[in-house]
Amino acid sequence: MIFLLDFRRNLAHYGVVRHVVHSYMEHLPLTEPVLLILLSLIEQPRHGYSILKDVERMSDGRVVLSTGTLYGAIRRLLDDDWIERFEEKETSRGRRAYRLTPQGRRNLQAEINRMKHLTRLASLRVAAKES
Amino acid sequence: MLNFYETLLLLYPAEHRAIFGEEMAAVFGELRADNLKKKRLSRAAFWLRETTGLLSGALAAHLRRPDGPFAFPIGRFTMRNGFRFPKSTILFMALILGGVLVAIKKGQDIASSVPDVNPPLPVHIQPAHSILLGGMPLFFAFFYAAGLIGWVILFALRRSGVHRLDQIAGEK
Repeated sequence: MIFLLDFRRNLAHYGVVRHVVHSYMEHLPLTEPVLLILLSLIEQPRHGYSILKDVERMSDGRVVLSTGTLYGAIRRLLDDDWIERFEEKETSRGRRAYRLTPQGRRNLQAEINRMKHLTRLASLRVAAKES
Repeated sequence: MLNFYETLLLLYPAEHRAIFGEEMAAVFGELRADNLKKKRLSRAAFWLRETTGLLSGALAAHLRRPDGPFAFPIGRFTMRNGFRFPKSTILFMALILGGVLVAIKKGQDIASSVPDVNPPLPVHIQPAHSILLGGMPLFFAFFYAAGLIGWVILFALRRSGVHRLDQIAGEK
């Protein structure tokens, strides 16, 4: 009984979170490559090559992006103001790098919250099935 | 090898190439240098991944352009300033209408080819023009009215497209 109440409370909570998230961000859920790109940029600004390598490292070699896929995603994220482009001052070559905008950071946090609640809900369901 | 990559880059829209072309080629150059040390199979996988990535990326870049010749809604349908109704939707609507008209005509042909020898039940197929001029406008009027009521509700709740655009403009 307690478990059922808890389950319902979590379900309602997930519904509220989902509503709030969707009310200001229509692009969720993110695809795995886009999520990994954003996670790579939350740590520090990076240029294209560095993003590719970091995504590969984060996913243990499971997600290996091509340059076409990477720059397609970068283009969409730039268009939606999730990331911004700037010229790296430190390097002699003056390479272009990318960093998260405040909006991008907010949206990434919203996606992380969404995933957390989903995982929690999934765990409850699995636990209910097993018990 | 780099020339091959640069040739494939020509498949992208000119605007995309102007912004990212040089950078993409530079990143590709770095990846290729990394890949030279790897085994033949890994090198082949790298080339396959890059070629398919570029081809699909170029196609997606063309399809995503709202003013492009192949404007086609992919991914999520996002309304923004300067948004135009996609031509593909008009094309599909025309195709569906054409399909309906062909189906009606076929139905009429089948009905007229069946010999009228004591038919079990009278088969009545309305002519296409009577459907288009009779029930169809009423049918569409009903849905337009429903859509209008829905929009009024959204407007009252300040969730309509106009408010969204204002919100986006305000954020910028």
